[in-house]
Amino acid sequence: MKTNLFCLILVLITGLYACKKELDPVFDKSPDARINETLRQYQAVLTGAPYGWKALVYPAGVPNSVFSFFFRFNDSNRVQMFSDLDGTSSVKMRESSWRLKSLQQPSLLFDTYSYLHVLCDPDAGNNGGSYGQGLGSDFEFAINSLHGDTIELTGRFHSSKALLVKATQQDMDNYYQHRMNRDIDSVSAILTYFRRLTAGNAKYDIRISQNLHLMNFTWVYKGKAQTFTTGYYYTPDGIRLSPAFNDSTSVISSIDNIRWSNGQLTCSVNGSAATIGETVRPLALDVNAPQRWYKYALDRGRYWGSDEGFHVNGADDAFHIRSLPDFFQLVFWPQAQGAGVDFDMLGFVLKVGDARPTLSYGPAYTQPDFTSDGRAVFSDIGLYGKLPPDKTPVLRSRAVMANPQGFYLIQVGPVAYDMVSASDGKSWISWSF
Amino acid sequence: MKYLLLLLSLCFLLSCSKSNDIGVIDDIPGLGGDTWIKSPLDRWLHDSLTIPYNVAVKYKWDQFEFDLTKTLVPPKEEKVIPVMQAIRKVWMNPYIDEAGMLFFKKYCPKFFILSGSASWNENGTITLGTAEGGRKVVLYLVNDFFTRDMPGYQPGDSGNVKQMFHVIEHEFGHILHQTIMYPVEFKRICAGLYTANWNNITDAAARRDGFVTAYSMAAFDEDFVEMISMMLVEGKAGFDKIVNGIPPGVSPNGVAQAEAQARLRKKESMVVNYFKTVWHIDFYSLQSRTRKEIDQLLY
Repeated sequence: MKTNLFCLILVLITGLYACKKELDPVFDKSPDARINETLRQYQAVLTGAPYGWKALVYPAGVPNSVFSFFFRFNDSNRVQMFSDLDGTSSVKMRESSWRLKSLQQPSLLFDTYSYLHVLCDPDAGNNGGSYGQGLGSDFEFAINSLHGDTIELTGRFHSSKALLVKATQQDMDNYYQHRMNRDIDSVSAILTYFRRLTAGNAKYDIRISQNLHLMNFTWVYKGKAQTFTTGYYYTPDGIRLSPAFNDSTSVISSIDNIRWSNGQLTCSVNGSAATIGETVRPLALDVNAPQRWYKYALDRGRYWGSDEGFHVNGADDAFHIRSLPDFFQLVFWPQAQGAGVDFDMLGFVLKVGDARPTLSYGPAYTQPDFTSDGRAVFSDIGLYGKLPPDKTPVLRSRAVMANPQGFYLIQVGPVAYDMVSASDGKSWISWSF
Repeated sequence: MKYLLLLLSLCFLLSCSKSNDIGVIDDIPGLGGDTWIKSPLDRWLHDSLTIPYNVAVKYKWDQFEFDLTKTLVPPKEEKVIPVMQAIRKVWMNPYIDEAGMLFFKKYCPKFFILSGSASWNENGTITLGTAEGGRKVVLYLVNDFFTRDMPGYQPGDSGNVKQMFHVIEHEFGHILHQTIMYPVEFKRICAGLYTANWNNITDAAARRDGFVTAYSMAAFDEDFVEMISMMLVEGKAGFDKIVNGIPPGVSPNGVAQAEAQARLRKKESMVVNYFKTVWHIDFYSLQSRTRKEIDQLLY
């Protein structure tokens, strides 16, 4: 009986469930239909912008960096492009191919080489990135969102962010009529190691990396050195910082009206006149850096090395030390004759064939004088070793070292220092360990 | 009764109406391959390669054709036609002239994929070409393809271009021997010296053991097709130079200069005989045609 009752209940339950199973779809159309509709919508939006699109691309491989682009998509899978990569790409339109495709998300693909791909090129010679990686940027993007005039993208390979904003006629004309202002690039003609942006009472030391579109600010706030790095891109007026730079008292979002004149850049910051020019002495000096630099090598019984020697008045390897016979490296070796012997050397290291590199000649010094304001001053005690037939590169390097004002040491990496002439700031050498 | 009820409930289960409608399937995005508006470049490839030779060229980016971990970029459009024209001149035409259109269409790899950049390896070296299954050939560094009639050509560019032809001849060699095998005696010439460690050996060291390149040491088949490829791309004079350039003395593996040279010469004659008897191709004639085209492109 019990079993029969059980069976009866079973019949009732199955009977109840064995009804027509109609899954009520959440959406009114099939996934394919909806994807096609979305792609059609994106296609219409992208090709429908009458004046094209302005774009900002933030390569994932270079934090803070940003590059600007101009795209004009048409219905035949062609896109016209400008970019602020360099002088040529700013003014020379390049056409390539584009496509919308439903991958895991609706995606915008730039599927033949264009300016956009220069950032991704694994040949670092094309973009100043790393070999095998480039700048870690993207050319295939998932479309994240479309709000009004803005499309947000995420790279499918390296996850670089990109932003497309509908351009105005003015924006488009600026590109096609070559109105991009690239005068900031003249900053490399300012020969000092430190470059000073003076805007009203505010002063900043700036470092600009043209390859990577990075700008670094150093300033003093309440007696303390501060530093900030941001990306920049070119505009018809000058450059725009992305994100803007906030020094705790004011915000700088762009540097406008940039012009090169009389050895400096004139510009305007927040509407007031400003300049970028030479400065010998940095705003904030790491006064302990010279001793730290010296002690680091001394403690390890080793030396600081430089492949290029001195940069002077805008010229790398100004004394052509690389043309010395068998030249391998220029080193600074504290107590080169053994610990405790006050004999430091600016040594020219030669490498003959497969033999081990050997410190062969160069001027020698007593321990540098470390001044309280953060300079190292070297005292020459003579020239040692068998000099090459053409002594000029050695003698000129020696002459720079003899600078009575000495040198500032700027730590630029965990084991990398730049040693900058304290008298004019136009000679420096980069040491690495 | 019990069983009847059970049966009844089973019947209920089966009787429910399950409409298995899969919806509209004639509009699945991407089904049937990628589509785009054809450009003059697409038409050129179709008319010059697909129609006459049944060869397809993919130049638009598709990461899934490549190693998914590699950073690569698509080719520049303006490089595609010069690259494919050069391939037609250096590889296709000499084979067609020597062995006929039917032979070529029957055996040639049918699918070329182009990458703009080289494929960078962990150890800092670059890969310039790969192939799969006798059908697909991937060519890298198309954006640096320069021949002497192009502005900006430097003699150093010839290495990349030659390497590209090397890859194609190599892969085509595989197709040939996979269709009809070469004589087994070939495998005995350098028996015992084949090694998986070939990538740590220089070409010069490999030659002292009687291999034409280091990659030849990877396997018998690779050895055979490297011979074909090197002889075609370097030409007779170039190959003679390789053989004659083996330095005197005995290699670390105990192979004397004369022995290494004799081994390469024996391999050469076996390749030539193989082409003659199996495919009725005069190898030396094919070689001189191929090299002549390379010379015209590069020097």
